[in-house]
Amino acid sequence: MGPNTLRVRLRRLLIPALIVSTALASDTANAQTDYYNTDAGRPLQIEDAYATERYAFELKLTSFKLERASRGRYNLGMEPEIAYGLLPRTHVEIGLPIAHQDLGDGASRSGVAGLEVSAMHNLNAETRSLPALGIRGDLLFPVGGLGPDRTYASVKGMATRTLSVARFHLNGQYTFGDEPGTDAVAEGARWLGGIAVDKALPLKAILFAADFYARQPLHESEDVDYSTNVGFRYQTSPSFLLDAGIGRRLTGPERGWSLTFGTAYAFAIRSLIPVRASR
Amino acid sequence: MTVRRLIFRAAAVGMFAAVATPAQAQWSTTYEQFYLPGSFNWEFRRNYPAADKLFNAFDYGHAILYERLYTQPNAPVADLEQKEYDFITRKLLRNPPRVPLEEAAIEVQYAKLAPEAKMMFDWAHLLHRQIYDVWADESLDLADKDRKVAELLAYYKKRPDLAFSSFPKNMELMEGQYYSTAFRDKYPKFNGLIWAYHWLQVGLYEPLVTGKNAAERQTGVVAAVARFWQMLEAPPSGMPTIMPMTAAVAPAFSARYPEAAIIFDNLHSMHDVISDILASPKVARNQKRADIMKAVSLYRDRTSFVMTQAEWLDMSNAMGVNNMGGTATNFLAALPTPTTERGAVHVHGATAAPGASAAPAEHVHAAPATPAAPAESEHVHGDAAAAPADTAKPMAGMNHDAMHAKAASADVMMPMLMRMLKDPAIRQRVNASPEMRRMMNAMIDEMPADHRPEMRKLLATRVVAPVKKPASKPAQKKPAPKKPAAKDPHAGMDHSTMKK
Repeated sequence: MGPNTLRVRLRRLLIPALIVSTALASDTANAQTDYYNTDAGRPLQIEDAYATERYAFELKLTSFKLERASRGRYNLGMEPEIAYGLLPRTHVEIGLPIAHQDLGDGASRSGVAGLEVSAMHNLNAETRSLPALGIRGDLLFPVGGLGPDRTYASVKGMATRTLSVARFHLNGQYTFGDEPGTDAVAEGARWLGGIAVDKALPLKAILFAADFYARQPLHESEDVDYSTNVGFRYQTSPSFLLDAGIGRRLTGPERGWSLTFGTAYAFAIRSLIPVRASR
Repeated sequence: MTVRRLIFRAAAVGMFAAVATPAQAQWSTTYEQFYLPGSFNWEFRRNYPAADKLFNAFDYGHAILYERLYTQPNAPVADLEQKEYDFITRKLLRNPPRVPLEEAAIEVQYAKLAPEAKMMFDWAHLLHRQIYDVWADESLDLADKDRKVAELLAYYKKRPDLAFSSFPKNMELMEGQYYSTAFRDKYPKFNGLIWAYHWLQVGLYEPLVTGKNAAERQTGVVAAVARFWQMLEAPPSGMPTIMPMTAAVAPAFSARYPEAAIIFDNLHSMHDVISDILASPKVARNQKRADIMKAVSLYRDRTSFVMTQAEWLDMSNAMGVNNMGGTATNFLAALPTPTTERGAVHVHGATAAPGASAAPAEHVHAAPATPAAPAESEHVHGDAAAAPADTAKPMAGMNHDAMHAKAASADVMMPMLMRMLKDPAIRQRVNASPEMRRMMNAMIDEMPADHRPEMRKLLATRVVAPVKKPASKPAQKKPAPKKPAAKDPHAGMDHSTMKK
């Protein structure tokens, strides 16, 4: 695929996304999201141990990742997601990753890369003696032309520790199931472990963050690869969030860099909140 | 391979260090909850952006205060009184943040010390903001607004783990503890700033509620914000000298939504209590969390340290609105003249000078059984803060064995009984109840014979001025304040009970 073709395809994907983002960013927004409550892929891989607020929906329509792989090939991913704070300290989330993959020599393929359903539970709030701890379970279903050939289940543990200088997060994840077929592009990892550090500028409602992680691809024959990301999350209004980051895969055959950009919009639905006036 | 092993080891060590559980691990499961959605959401932000942004800045003031008090207890006073105060008033308030702040990013250590208390504040601040939103929404009529506020209150109370009590708490809870007034004594200017914040936070409801149309509400809000700035012009003299009470500062709002007003008074009162706990050198560092959690529990329950709504209204007015910064509407150009010393404490309904309760409270009113029936259930407790919530029941929670042991010691009992009987409010209450009079006489009988006549005489002394509200009358006589109470609408109050 030539650069012009890529540009056209990018434009087709990005322009509608930006329109949606701008519409959501208007001041008519009626909900609140939180730049301080980080999510995987937004923009870092390593996330904190806290779940979405109870009763809140967090809509992430425009989460893009552009990767420049080896030999000048580009891959583009987009993952619309919605999370809901179903129970105290617990949210459920559903995502539909969409991928466009440059195969080289002008060939490419696009499609849905699976259906992700996950649940996250925060075990405790951080205190003087304990970090915040969280657990998460993910299911990736074989949906779409680029999805996996079978269902994969993952478990993840998260810890968050805040010091006066910065906040630190540790994540460890393991995926069950056999190796996928060769055509699948879903970025599963047999295991993943990493650390992130972030620093908030609370008066500006911005969070700067960086992470470093190692992952073993589901294909056991592949080596462990190491990656790092830096980025920020920025609260533009009480209900709207922007994030962006740049990453670098340090090892492995697909060594390259990546750019991420995302938005999130939070809201709640009155009918899902069981409360009536007492008088 | 080496790098991988290194990373694994580092991660394992990090995980272990992060998760390691000390002997007294502090496990908290408090959590955040979204605000009630509705068409009114963020209307205050849209229609009153200047005031809305100020509230974002207020969040910083509270957060940095707690963080500094907890992490730098021995820092020079000027760090807060000068440096931080100047930053807040000269920079932050003049260029406030665009969005509500994430306080956990400011009060990092405090948030870990007492996440439950932090969450209580967040939840109550959310109620504050949502009620502003309802009243800023010009598409709602009065009936709709009342309905929405009722709904907001119901939603607020759906979190009993976070909701402040809807029963008014008396001032003994805030000012009668062994740590009380530590913050205001050491940091009078910063304390005045916090009270000015609280004045605006409750005062702003008044123009919203009393304005007849959008234009009047806009004018009223602008005027109230301007009055807030006026308070900061010559600190601390223009600032409130005592904690602003919602019923005094925003009477129309309080009459319309007494429950909300009470919740906000309890909220602001607990703000002061936590400042005192953090600032007081009498509270050992390893005791701070325990005392905060005790206070948190007392401010949530419906039984301890409560008074009736009528008593709360009386007390709010008797404290003197001019001492609180004045009413939030229809005020004169000049700031009101306070009638009390800065930081005066409110003892039994009267106002006394700073430091008056520095000693362990000896006349602390523990809780009546129910707000409606305080007379027979009140008892005196030496360490009221230590009393569990259920001490509201008459004499419950008292260590009776210890009491009997102490009764055997005239040295201990004598001064306490003498002090109690010198309090006209207690005297009147004891005399009004045959059962309590009988008990008191029985106790006097156990005293050394040479003291009995004096005590019987004291008990028989009639209260000259009838005490309308026993829970809100002065305990001690002190020299009158120097300042005249010119134009004070509460000029009739007994100023002779205000201690210097």
